[in-house]
Amino acid sequence: MGETVEESRLTPVPGSSPGPNFPGPFAVGTYARKLQGWMRERARVQLIGEVTGVGRSKVQAYFELRDSEGAVPCAIWLNDLEKAGLDGAGLRDGAEVVISGGLDYYPGGGQASPNFCFRATHVRLAGEGDLIARLEALRKQMRAGLFELQKQLHRPALPKAIGVVTAERGAARRDLLAGLERRGWGGSLIWGFAPVQDRHAAPAIGRALQDLAARPEVEAIVVTRGGGSLADLWAFCDETLCRTVAMLRVPVVSAVGHERDSTLIDDVAAVACSTPTHAAEAAVPLDCLAARESLERCASALRRAGEGAVETRSRHLGALARGPARALQRERGKLNQKIREIRAASERGLADRAASQRRIGTLVLERARRRAAGADMEKRREALHRASVALRAHEPERTLERGYALVEGDGGEPLTSAAEAGAAERISLRFSDGRVRARPEQRGEA
Amino acid sequence: MDESERDQSSAARPDSYEAAVERLEEIIDRLDSGQAGLRETLDLCKEGKELVTYCAGELDEVGEGLKELRLDDLASKLDTASEVG
Repeated sequence: MGETVEESRLTPVPGSSPGPNFPGPFAVGTYARKLQGWMRERARVQLIGEVTGVGRSKVQAYFELRDSEGAVPCAIWLNDLEKAGLDGAGLRDGAEVVISGGLDYYPGGGQASPNFCFRATHVRLAGEGDLIARLEALRKQMRAGLFELQKQLHRPALPKAIGVVTAERGAARRDLLAGLERRGWGGSLIWGFAPVQDRHAAPAIGRALQDLAARPEVEAIVVTRGGGSLADLWAFCDETLCRTVAMLRVPVVSAVGHERDSTLIDDVAAVACSTPTHAAEAAVPLDCLAARESLERCASALRRAGEGAVETRSRHLGALARGPARALQRERGKLNQKIREIRAASERGLADRAASQRRIGTLVLERARRRAAGADMEKRREALHRASVALRAHEPERTLERGYALVEGDGGEPLTSAAEAGAAERISLRFSDGRVRARPEQRGEA
Repeated sequence: MDESERDQSSAARPDSYEAAVERLEEIIDRLDSGQAGLRETLDLCKEGKELVTYCAGELDEVGEGLKELRLDDLASKLDTASEVG
């Protein structure tokens, strides 16, 4: 209080002794009335918060207005409530309202108890705009670093155990299960059921989150609830809850409300999803069904690679092993071909050479024959000449030339004896210069 | 299994499913490139098969059907166990 009740000139009760340091003592009723006056002089303001503990008397309704930081006892005259259109069930526990008014204090009396409250003169349900403005204020209030802590955590692709914080009978639970089933995921799901809409929700959700995160097997946590107004989702904008989430060691996936809804827990969570189905996909990033197929393909590829590598190399080795024999065979073939060619060439060469030699021989022989023939002729000529000379020397003519005569018969046959000549009727005497016919006169005389 | 073998097998165990799949993809890329020699190919195939077995085991662990547990029940069991202890 800027101005104390003491300063409003209370009169001490006569005859009483003051305390060690404080003024007084004052009569409490006087003090209470002064306190009432002082409170009513305080500024009139608007407050926003959640209504809890609604009660009614004959003339007024009373309730607490609270958020995660604290609470204020409030009261409103029933006629003011009626003017606001919130009589009956309009003012109910859990409603987010904006109230206008100021501090008030009822000093009580001889029988009535004193009472402090915020006297609301106007009340209305908090609109979307109020809550959004409050949410923005909360966002600014939280250090930006808190929004990043969860996002830095590793999210396993294939968690074995997932914690879920949601309402036990909410549609979100069913949707999350359906999402996990579509993913082919069948691990352990630990339900941390908690109310998701009232002033008890945020602390209960916070406790469930902490309990789940404390379990070593839990690798991811999903916080989810179905759609609603921002007022319905307001528990997920609780600053204490969001600070708790930010500090958890386990990644939290939030899926609160529908796609257009944004709560403070979405800002601090590792991943914010629009629906519980999406939250299932974020909590189990790996599509297990697709992963199994992919793994089967990998296994096949490995089998093919292993077998193929051995088979290819084995074929190569086989080919290499057969190589020398094939090379030998190839070389042998070449060699045989060469041999055939050489033989053919040799035969051709021999034939050519034989023919050549034959031609040469013929020529040589011809030449020799010619040469031989030439020399023989000469010799023959000479022999002939000598024979001729000898013959001529032995010719009867030569004898006849020397004076002898040759007796020939009538037929020209030589008569070499006197008997023959004597027997012949007629004889011819042949001289070198001619013949003389004659008749032997005496026959048989020697 | 002696100590060294145990050390080797634990060293070969991947840190996580993601790490195993990443290494598996590297192995298959290397094999598909056709640049690995016979020894390397056989070693990679062996390592790949181990990784496939590991991944299949991980998938099997979450493939036996959803097990639903309640945090309250687990907490009660824990309390009972601590009381008995």
